[in-house]
Amino acid sequence: MRSKRLLSLLAATTGAAVLTVVGLGLGPGGQQALAHKEPHIPEELKAFEDVFTEQVILGDLLFHGDTEAQQELGVSLSDTGMACAMCHPDGSDVHPHEFPKYQQQMQEFATLRDMINWCIEKPNQGTKIDSDSPAMKALEAYIYWSNSGSMLDPGRH
Amino acid sequence: MNELEKTRREMARVLCAPGRHPDRSFSVSRRTFLQRSLATGALGGAAAYGWLPLINVLDIRVAAAAEAFRFAWISDSHLYPREVNERFVEKTVLAVEDVKAMDPPADFLIYGGDLAQLGAPDELRLGSEILKELDIRQVLIPGEHDWYLDLGKLWMELFGEPNSTFDHKGVRFVALDTISRCPDYWSATNMSPEERMGHMATLDGTVAGAWAGIGNDQLKWLQDLLADWPKDQPVVLFSHNPLYEYYPPWNFWVRDWRPLHEILAPFQNVTNLHGHTHQPLYNEVGSMRSIGMLATAWPWPYAPEGVPALTQPMVRVDPGDHFDGVGWDEITFTADARVENRYVMWPRKPEEVLATASDDSGTGDNRNQKLRRRIADRMWPY
Repeated sequence: MRSKRLLSLLAATTGAAVLTVVGLGLGPGGQQALAHKEPHIPEELKAFEDVFTEQVILGDLLFHGDTEAQQELGVSLSDTGMACAMCHPDGSDVHPHEFPKYQQQMQEFATLRDMINWCIEKPNQGTKIDSDSPAMKALEAYIYWSNSGSMLDPGRH
Repeated sequence: MNELEKTRREMARVLCAPGRHPDRSFSVSRRTFLQRSLATGALGGAAAYGWLPLINVLDIRVAAAAEAFRFAWISDSHLYPREVNERFVEKTVLAVEDVKAMDPPADFLIYGGDLAQLGAPDELRLGSEILKELDIRQVLIPGEHDWYLDLGKLWMELFGEPNSTFDHKGVRFVALDTISRCPDYWSATNMSPEERMGHMATLDGTVAGAWAGIGNDQLKWLQDLLADWPKDQPVVLFSHNPLYEYYPPWNFWVRDWRPLHEILAPFQNVTNLHGHTHQPLYNEVGSMRSIGMLATAWPWPYAPEGVPALTQPMVRVDPGDHFDGVGWDEITFTADARVENRYVMWPRKPEEVLATASDDSGTGDNRNQKLRRRIADRMWPY
């Protein structure tokens, strides 16, 4: 059951899920789709939300060290048994609302994705992931979702 | 008002009535604060915390003259097998070596739970071997990470009963088990032991629920063992979880705090040392003082709400330095009947452990942060 569900989530990460909502106004990958030309219908809004929620769930699994999700996406976020959530339960202390900012440990102006990769590589001793990869987008989705009540405060150390 | 706020207000109403506080024969030194203020020449950044007790020099005057002694606290090592995480092993060994090097030696060691990460036999046995390097008395309590693979079977084989008591030089010590009484969330869904352990080992998991508690049987045991203890003599409770409500979603509490504090209420000098939270904490609840101890593995962030107002938070730690934000605790009963708790955070001097300005503190760092709880572990695969 779990693998079937995971495949569904992974389909969303690769764009296959777009096919299921193409009739609701989304175009297939690589093709310019029209947007906002007609009033949104509830089914369409629900489809948009489902795409996001599935990314949040996948990101949650990666954030909590789920082995199967990492294997399916071909990433290794930790080599120490540490998961992101072990220092950041419920996405706390990630402060996505403060990025981009100067990050002291990197000594450079950094985005949230830069910081995610720093944590993967340093504390977790895992392997950095492509900044635009499905795994990165899913992690970003979960982190923003878990902090969705926070107030934007970019640049604060 | 949400449920968390209701619980918090109820606890304040029940336990923190006006005029009720730990016995004033307990005194809190402000030595470090004064030294820092003089050193910087002004109250400056320290002003925000200046009125708070400094827990790394907590001085407690007990009613009767005490004989000087020291003991050590180590907890929350979260050991994986050595080949998975050498760092956790390295820091546990370092803490043990530090305790071994204490001169004069510690009278005993308290190990405050979560020796293992996933309760696996090789993890628990590794921890047991490391602790054997110490030839002083050891009192252990279990953490949830030690317990929920085999429901405590191996832990008890290695270390005995999960709760215990002893008297030492005028102080009654009680080691409480706050982890073994989780309501059964695994049978109805036929979870494997590994799945049960996995939910329990996830601090922000939502499946295991409010697992931290003392239980009626243990409350009765506590009540009986304190029945003949003089009300003005010190009682020190060791527990894995804090014995007050700090942040229930992460089980930074025990669910049956009310009957516990009813038992403790007649006693004037009660101190609780606890693990699980991986961070310096200080609180006063009714007649009990509570001190949160360091982990050796990693520091948890302060919870998004509920940090006791009396807590001076630790500094923001460097996530690139796996020795920062962690360590062990040295507790001294001095000859003039004071108690000092010293956070031994390896890369920092004692006076650098607690923040003196918001920008450098583990709580001030969380400005503008508002969180929502995760949902994935409820949606899938159960």
